[in-house]
Amino acid sequence: MFIEYSEEQNMLRDSAERYLRDNYSFESRQAAVKQARGFDADQWQTFAELGWLAMTFKEESDGFGGGALETMILCEQFGKYLVLEPYLESVVLVGGLVEAGAQPEIKQRYLSGLIAGERQGAFAYLEEGAVADPTYVQTTAESSADGFVLNGKKTVVLNGPEADCFIVSARTGAVGQDSSQGISLFFIHKDTPGLSFTQYKTYDGRSASELQLENVAVSDQALVGELHNGFATATPVFSRAMVAVCAEAVGAMDALLAATVDYTKQRKQFGQSISGFQVLRHRMVDMFMEIELTRSLLMATAWKLDNHAADAELCVAALKAKVGKAGRYVSHNAVQLHGGIGTTDEFSVGHYFKRLAVIGVMFGSRDSHLSRYSQLSTQLSVEPS
Amino acid sequence: MTDNVFRSDVRAFLTESLTPDIKRAGELMTSVFADFDATMEWHRILYAKGWVAPDWPEEHGGTGWTLSQRYIFQEECKLANAPALFAMGLQMLGPMLIRYGTAEQKNYYLPRMLSGEDVWCQGYSEPGAGSDLASLITAAVRDGDDYIINGSKIWTSYAQHSNKIFCLVRTSKEGKPQAGISFILVDMDTKGLSVEPIVGLDGTVEQCQVYFDDVRVPAANLVGAENQGWDVAKSLLEFERGGHNFTIDHKKQMAKIDHQASTQLSAGGGLWKDNPVFAAKVADVAVDALALEFTELRVKGAFEAGGNAGALSSLIKVMGTEIGQRFNELSLEIMAEHAFVKQLDALVPGFEGDAIGPSCGLTTMAEYINNRAATIYGGSAEIQRDIIAKRVLHL
Ligand SMILES: Cc1cc2nc3c(=O)[nH]c(=O)nc-3n(C[C@H](O)[C@H](O)[C@H](O)COP(=O)(O)OP(=O)(O)OC[C@H]3O[C@@H](n4cnc5c(N)ncnc54)[C@H](O)[C@@H]3O)c2cc1C
Ligand SMILES: Cc1cc2nc3c(=O)[nH]c(=O)nc-3n(C[C@H](O)[C@H](O)[C@H](O)COP(=O)(O)OP(=O)(O)OC[C@H]3O[C@@H](n4cnc5c(N)ncnc54)[C@H](O)[C@@H]3O)c2cc1C
Repeated sequence: MFIEYSEEQNMLRDSAERYLRDNYSFESRQAAVKQARGFDADQWQTFAELGWLAMTFKEESDGFGGGALETMILCEQFGKYLVLEPYLESVVLVGGLVEAGAQPEIKQRYLSGLIAGERQGAFAYLEEGAVADPTYVQTTAESSADGFVLNGKKTVVLNGPEADCFIVSARTGAVGQDSSQGISLFFIHKDTPGLSFTQYKTYDGRSASELQLENVAVSDQALVGELHNGFATATPVFSRAMVAVCAEAVGAMDALLAATVDYTKQRKQFGQSISGFQVLRHRMVDMFMEIELTRSLLMATAWKLDNHAADAELCVAALKAKVGKAGRYVSHNAVQLHGGIGTTDEFSVGHYFKRLAVIGVMFGSRDSHLSRYSQLSTQLSVEPS
Repeated sequence: MTDNVFRSDVRAFLTESLTPDIKRAGELMTSVFADFDATMEWHRILYAKGWVAPDWPEEHGGTGWTLSQRYIFQEECKLANAPALFAMGLQMLGPMLIRYGTAEQKNYYLPRMLSGEDVWCQGYSEPGAGSDLASLITAAVRDGDDYIINGSKIWTSYAQHSNKIFCLVRTSKEGKPQAGISFILVDMDTKGLSVEPIVGLDGTVEQCQVYFDDVRVPAANLVGAENQGWDVAKSLLEFERGGHNFTIDHKKQMAKIDHQASTQLSAGGGLWKDNPVFAAKVADVAVDALALEFTELRVKGAFEAGGNAGALSSLIKVMGTEIGQRFNELSLEIMAEHAFVKQLDALVPGFEGDAIGPSCGLTTMAEYINNRAATIYGGSAEIQRDIIAKRVLHL
C-alpha cells in the first residue's frame, strides 16, 4: 500500500496550510482563548466558506464527498496551528452522526446548518466515573406515547457551551452480551425543557459542560441510528474522530519538533548552541522517528478506513495507542529541551503539550487501545480473510 | 525515645494541629508549593511548637532529632497532607548561613526565617544563565559601603510572596566565570527592585522575573567573601538536591492512584485496579520507586555514619523526579476526560462551591503539567546525568 494523494487532496492540504499560516497566529489564538466563547466565530465562518466543514459530507448532503483521508489532511493542519474551532465536535462527531443516522426530519432541519457552520454540535456520551468506557450508560430513555423521555447526567461534553445540537447516548434496553447493546442515541436541541448545563473551560483552552437531563421529552424523530443499537452508528464515527485527533496530534508534534530544533540552535549555554550537545541531538532524532512512525500509521489507517479494509479497526486501535506514546515522548521532550521557557503560558510549546495531553487520553488511553488491538488481532487471525 | 513512640507523638500533634483548611491546602497541592496563606499559617504553628526547622542544628533553632526522627516527621507530615513549607529559606539559605554567615547575619536573619517574618526566594537563574549558571551577568558594583545591582533574575519561585531574595551576582569579570561571583542578600522593598509574574501552564503564577535597576544594597549583606559566592552557592545546591525525600512523595502519589483505580471504571467495565495491563504498568513504576526508596535509605545510612551522598544525590534527583512524572501519567490515564476540566477556583483551600467531576481527579492535570518542570529546575535531568558521568564514571 502506498498512498498517493489526488490533486484535490494536495490542494486541500496546501490551501489549509497557507490559510492558517497567514491567518492563524499563536497570538490571535491566545486572544481567542480568553474570549468567553473560546474560539473565533469569524474563523469558523471562514472555515465554512473555504469548504472545510463540508469536505467530508456526502455529495447528496451538499458535501464534497471526502473521507478519512480528507479529515486527516485538514486535522493535521489544525494540529499544527493549534486550531481551537470545534471541527471535531461539531463536524466530525455530531455532523457525522446526524448524516449517518438521524431521521429525515432532523437531518433536513439541521444537517445543512452544521455543514454551513451556522449550527454547533456536541456529543454527550460520557458519564462520571467511567470516562474510559462509552458503553457505561446510566442515563435512561423511556419510551412514551409519542417518543422518549430522558433522565440522567452526562460529563465532559466537549463544545457543550457553544452547541445548539446535542446527541446524547441513553439506555433503552438491558445490557446484552455486548456492553454496547441496549444503548440508543438521541438528537436533542439545547432549548428542550429539562436540560441544564454547567459550563467550564478545559486545560487545552477549549470549553465543555456537564449536562443534566430531567424528564427531557423528545419525539421519536429524535432517535439517531437504530433503537438499542446506537453503537452501530457511533462506532464508525468514533473511528473517524480518532483519525481526526491523531492527525491533529501529528500536526502538533511536527510543530513541536520544528520549534525545538529551532530553539536549541538559538539557545546558547556553556558557550555553544545547546543543539550541539549529542544527548539533545539524539533526543530530537528520537522525536523525529516517533513522529514519522506515527505519520505512517496515520496515513495507512485513514486509507484503510476509506477503503473498508478488514483490518481498518485494528489500525485505528494501533494508531490511537501509538499517538498516546509518541505524543507524550515528543511533547515532554519539547518542554524539557526548552527548559524554563517551555513551562510558561506565554510560549506556544506548552500549549501544544497540553493539547497532546488531552488527545492522548481522549477516546480511550493507550492501554485501552492496546487491549483493543490485541483482541482485534486475535479475532482477525482466527477469521479467514 | 523509640521511633515508634516518636511517630505516635508526631501523629498526635498533627491530628490536633492541622486545621481542615491547612490540610485542604496540602491535599490540593499541584506542585512543590501549596497555597501561600495556608502554608504560612502552618509555618507559624510549627514554629510555635519548635518544629519548624528539624534539619538545623539545635543551637540555631533545630529540634535535635536523629536523622530517623526527621525522616519520620517528614513522612508523617506528608501523609497527613500538611502543606510543604517553603524550602528557599528553611532548607536552602538557612543551612548555608549557618555555615558561611557572619555572627550578625545569623543573629538577624535566622530567627526571622524561623518565625516566618521573612519569606525568601532564590535569585540564581537569569534569562541567559540557566544550566550554565556561572555565565550570569547581573552585576553588583561596589560604591562606598554599598553595592549597586543591575540586571535581572528569572524563574524566581514565589518572588511575588517574598520580602527577601538571595542572589548570585557578578562582582568581577576577571579569570574563570565562577571566580567573579558573589552571594548577596537583598531586601525586596529596596528602591529599583521590581517583580513581574510569569503565568505557568496550569494558568497560575509560581515563578517571576525580578528586575534590578540601580538597587543599592549594603556590603554587609554579602555572604562569604567577595568573589567567593560560587562556593557558597555550590554547597546550597547540594542542600537542594540532597534534601528532598522522594519516597514520601511517591507513596502519596501511589495512594492517590490506588484511590483513583479503585473508584474509576476502565474500558470493558471493571475497575482500573482490576485491569491487568494497567496493573502491570503501575507495578513497573512501583518497583522502580521501591528501588529508589532503598537507595534513599542507603544514603540516609551513609549520612548517619558521617559520610555524604556524593553523586548518589544526582541519581536520586533524576530518578525521583522521573518516577514522579510517570505516576502523574498513570493518574492522567485513569482520570482521562475528567482531568480536562480547568477549575482553578476549586484548587484554592477555602473553595465552597461544587467541584466538577470526581474529587479524586481535581488535581490530576495540573499536577501532570506542573511536574514536567521537576526535571528542569534544581539542575536538569541532563545536567544531573552529566554530573554522574563526570564524578562517578570519570568520563
Ligand atoms: C556482526 C558484525 C558484522 C560486521 N560486518 C562487517 C563487514 O562485513 N564489513 C566491514 O567492513 N565491517 C563489518 N563490521 C564492522 C562494523 O562496521 C563496525 O563494528 C562498526 O563500524 C563500528 O566500529 P567499531 O566496532 O570499531 O566500534 P567504534 O566505532 O569504536 O564504536 C564503539 C561505540 O562508540 C559509539 N560511537 C562511535 N562514534 C560515535 C559518535 N561520534 N557519537 C556517538 N557514539 C559513537 C558506537 O556507536 C559504538 O557504540 C561488522 C561488525 C559486526 C559487529
Ligand atoms: C518551575 C521552576 C521553578 C524554578 N525556580 C527557580 C528559583 O526559585 N530560582 C532560580 O534561580 N531558578 C529557578 N528555576 C530555574 C531553573 O533552575 C532553570 O530553569 C534551570 O537551571 C534550567 O535553565 P534554563 O531554563 O535556562 O534551561 P537551559 O539551561 O537553557 O536548558 C535547556 C535544555 O538544554 C539542556 N542542556 C543545557 N546544557 C546542557 C548540557 N551541557 N548538556 C546537555 N543538555 C544540556 C537542559 O537540560 C535543558 O533540557 C526554576 C525553573 C522552573 C521550571
